[in-house]
Amino acid sequence: MVDLARVQKELHECNRDVQVSGINVTLKGDSLTHLIGTIPGPVGTPYEGGTFKIDITLTDGYPFEPPKMKFATKVWHPNISSQSGAICLDILKDQWSPALTLKTALLSIQALLSAPEPDDPQDAVVAQQYLRDHQTFVGTARYWTETFAKTSTLAADEKIQKLVEMGFPEAQVRSTLEANGWDENMALEKLLSS
Amino acid sequence: MEDYGSSEEDIYSSDQESYDGLENEETDSQWGSSTGNSCKVITRESLLVAQREDLRRVMDLLSLREHHARTLLIHYRWDVERLFAILVEKGKTCLFAEAGVTILEEVDVDSSVSSSTMMCGICMEEVAGSEVTKMDCGHCFCNDCWTEHFIVKIKEGQSKRIRCMAHKCFAICDEAVIRKLVSKRHPDLAEKFDRFLLESYIEDNKMVKWCPSIPHCGNAIRVETDEFCEVECSCGLQFCFSCLSEAHSPCSCWMWELWTKKCRDESETVNWITVHTKPCPKCHKPVEKNGGCNLVSCICGQAFCWLCGGATGRDHTWSSIAGHSCGRYKEDQEKKSERAKRDLYRYMHYHNRYKAHTDSFTQESRLRETIKEKVANLESRDSRLRDFSWVTNGLYRLFRSRRALSFSYPFAFYMFGDDLFKDEMTNEEKEIKQHLFEDQQQQLEANVEKLSKVFEDPFDGFEETEIMDMRMQVLNLSVVTDTLCKKMYECIETDLLGALQFSSHNIAPYQSKGIERATELNGGRNTKANSNITCQKAHDQTNGGSIELVHPSGCGTSDESGCSSRKRTRKDSGGSFFDLNLPAELIDRN
Repeated sequence: MVDLARVQKELHECNRDVQVSGINVTLKGDSLTHLIGTIPGPVGTPYEGGTFKIDITLTDGYPFEPPKMKFATKVWHPNISSQSGAICLDILKDQWSPALTLKTALLSIQALLSAPEPDDPQDAVVAQQYLRDHQTFVGTARYWTETFAKTSTLAADEKIQKLVEMGFPEAQVRSTLEANGWDENMALEKLLSS
Repeated sequence: MEDYGSSEEDIYSSDQESYDGLENEETDSQWGSSTGNSCKVITRESLLVAQREDLRRVMDLLSLREHHARTLLIHYRWDVERLFAILVEKGKTCLFAEAGVTILEEVDVDSSVSSSTMMCGICMEEVAGSEVTKMDCGHCFCNDCWTEHFIVKIKEGQSKRIRCMAHKCFAICDEAVIRKLVSKRHPDLAEKFDRFLLESYIEDNKMVKWCPSIPHCGNAIRVETDEFCEVECSCGLQFCFSCLSEAHSPCSCWMWELWTKKCRDESETVNWITVHTKPCPKCHKPVEKNGGCNLVSCICGQAFCWLCGGATGRDHTWSSIAGHSCGRYKEDQEKKSERAKRDLYRYMHYHNRYKAHTDSFTQESRLRETIKEKVANLESRDSRLRDFSWVTNGLYRLFRSRRALSFSYPFAFYMFGDDLFKDEMTNEEKEIKQHLFEDQQQQLEANVEKLSKVFEDPFDGFEETEIMDMRMQVLNLSVVTDTLCKKMYECIETDLLGALQFSSHNIAPYQSKGIERATELNGGRNTKANSNITCQKAHDQTNGGSIELVHPSGCGTSDESGCSSRKRTRKDSGGSFFDLNLPAELIDRN
C-alpha cells in the first residue's frame, strides 16, 4: 500500500516553498497515487522559460519503490524520449532511495535538464545530434521549449483565438489544445479530422 | 596388508615385476582421495561450515564482525586471495568502500538510541526511540520503514546486497538486523533471505558449483585449486566441473560442446544418409535415388549422374546421359561437393570410433556383475589364492582407459580439423602432430582391447596356473594402459593444446585413479573458536532452521570424529560399486 500519510506530507512540504524552488506537485485526479509535477526550465539552458509537466504514478511500494515519472510535456533532450517522455535517470531506477522524495526527484530531473548525459542516452537521435551538431541541438531544444513548454495564458489565449477565428467552437478548441499539449498544429489536425 | 603381502610372496617370490604392478594397482584403488585438488561435497547441512573457513580468515585478518566479512566476501565473490590482494594494493578503506562496508568508530552502534522520540526520514513520523534502528553507517530510521525496505529488496532478489535507505549511502545492512526485523512480520521471507545469503557461497563462487544432477541431489561441489577437473558427487553423478556436462576429458569443454551438438544434429541420420544418398552438386542436399536410371534430379532442379555425382543436363536414355561420360577422368570437378563429402567422411570416421568405444564401455560396464560372480566362484573354491582384488582393479583400469580412448576421438576430430585451429599451425605441423598423437592413440587402443579380451575369458573355471597367468597379464596390461593414457594426456596438454597461441583450451588432468570422488565436508578442520561462532550465529537466528543442522558437524573438532565421519561417509555412499574396493580402502587407512 502506498504510504498516503507520507505523500500528503510531501505535497504539503513541497508546495510550501514553491516560490523558492519553482517546483510544484498537484493531484491529477482525486487519487493520491496519480500526480502532476511541474518544473521550470533551468536558466541558461535551451529549456529556460519553459514549464515542464511531469506525469507521476506512485506504485504500491512507494516510497520503497521509486515513483514512475515521465515527461507529459514534449522535450528535446538526450536522456528523455522525444516520443514517450520516458526519463533515463538512475535515481528513478536502481539508485532510488526511500529517503528521496517527489520533490528531490523532480529537482534531480531539473538538474538533468541542465546537464545532459549523452553517453547514456534514452533518445539516440537526440544524443547523436547533441554530440555531432550541438548548434542544431540547441536550436531544436529551444524551439521545442517555445512550442510545447510555454503555456503562458497569453500564448494560450492567442492560440484559442486563432483557432476560433478559423471557425471552431471555443470549448472544443480549448479541450483539443489541452489534449495535444497546446500544440496548435496537432490540435488543428484533430479538429479538422473530427 | 600383511596378509596380502605374504600370500603374494609365497606364490610370486621370483617375479619382481609383478610386484611393481601390484603396488601400482593398490594405490590405484584409493579412488583419488589423495590428490592435490581435493573436492568436497557441500550439502544443505554443511553449507555454513563450508564458508566458515573463508569467513574466519577475513574476520581474523581485518578484525571484523561476521556480517561485515560476509558482505566483503559476497562482493569479492568469495575469492579470499583477491580480497587480500586488494587490501594490500588499495588499502582497507578502499576495500571496504567498494564492498559497502562502513564501520563507524562509535561505541554505541546498538539500536537503542535514546528513549526520546525522533523523526523518521522515510515515513516522516515521530517515532519512539525504542522503535528505531541505527545501521553501522550511522543512519537511523524507524523499524517499520526498515522492515518494509528489506521486504521489498528481498522480493526483488537483492538479498545479498541490501543497501541502507539513506540517499547515496552505499553501506550494506547488517544481516542480523534484517533477519530480526523481517522475521517478525514475514518469517518465511526471512528464511528465504537466509538461504540467499548462505547460497551466495555457491552462486557467487567460481570454485563452488551446484551438482548438475537431475533431479537435483541438493549438493554442491567445491574444488580446491583447479577448476578444470572432473569430479564425482556423493550422489554418484560424475561430471566436468568446468562445464557441468558429463566428464569428457581429454576433450576440452568447448570441443565437447561442439561435438555433442554435432552428434545430436547428425549422428543418427548420418549413417543412413551416407549409405543411401549422394549430395546434389548444386545445393549439396543429400538425394536418395528411389528408382529409375542413373540420371537423378534433385528437388532444387539440378540433374546429376548417380554414378559420379557430377552435374549433367536433362537429356538422357536408359544407358547414357547426353554430353556426359563419367568414364572420362576429370580433375578438379566440383571441388565443393568433394569437400562436403570429405568432411562428412571425416566426421564419420571419428564418430564411428567414438561410438564404438562408448558402446564397448557400456557393454563392459555390464561385465561388472558377471565378473563379480566369477570372482565369487573363485573365492568359494578351496584354493591357495585368496585375493582377487586384481580383477576389480584391472576392470576399473579398463573402464577408465576405455573412457579416455572414446573421448580422444572427438578431441582428434577438432584438434586436426579445419574448423577450430586453422590459423594455429601449418599443414606440415599439423600432420606431424597428428601422426604423433595417432601413434599414441593406437597403442592405447591395442592395449585396451587386449585387456578387454582377457576379461571375456571364463576364468572362474581356470586352473590355478592359468589364473596366475591371467593375473600377470591383467597387471601388466593395466600398468601399460595407465602409462599410455597418462602419456596421451600429457601430449594433449603440452604439445597440442599447450602450443595453441590464439585460443585457450583446458582439459581436466589425467587421474590415474579415476574421477575423483568429492568427500563429505566435515568439521574436523575447524577450531573450537569456530564452533563458538556457530553457536553465536544460531543465537542470532530467530528462525535458525538451516543453521541448527550444521551444529553436529560444526562441533566435531577432534581428529577422531573427523576420521569416523569420513568412514561413515564412505559406507553410506557405497553401493555395490564401492564395496568392491573395500580391501584397498583398508590398506589406505593403514
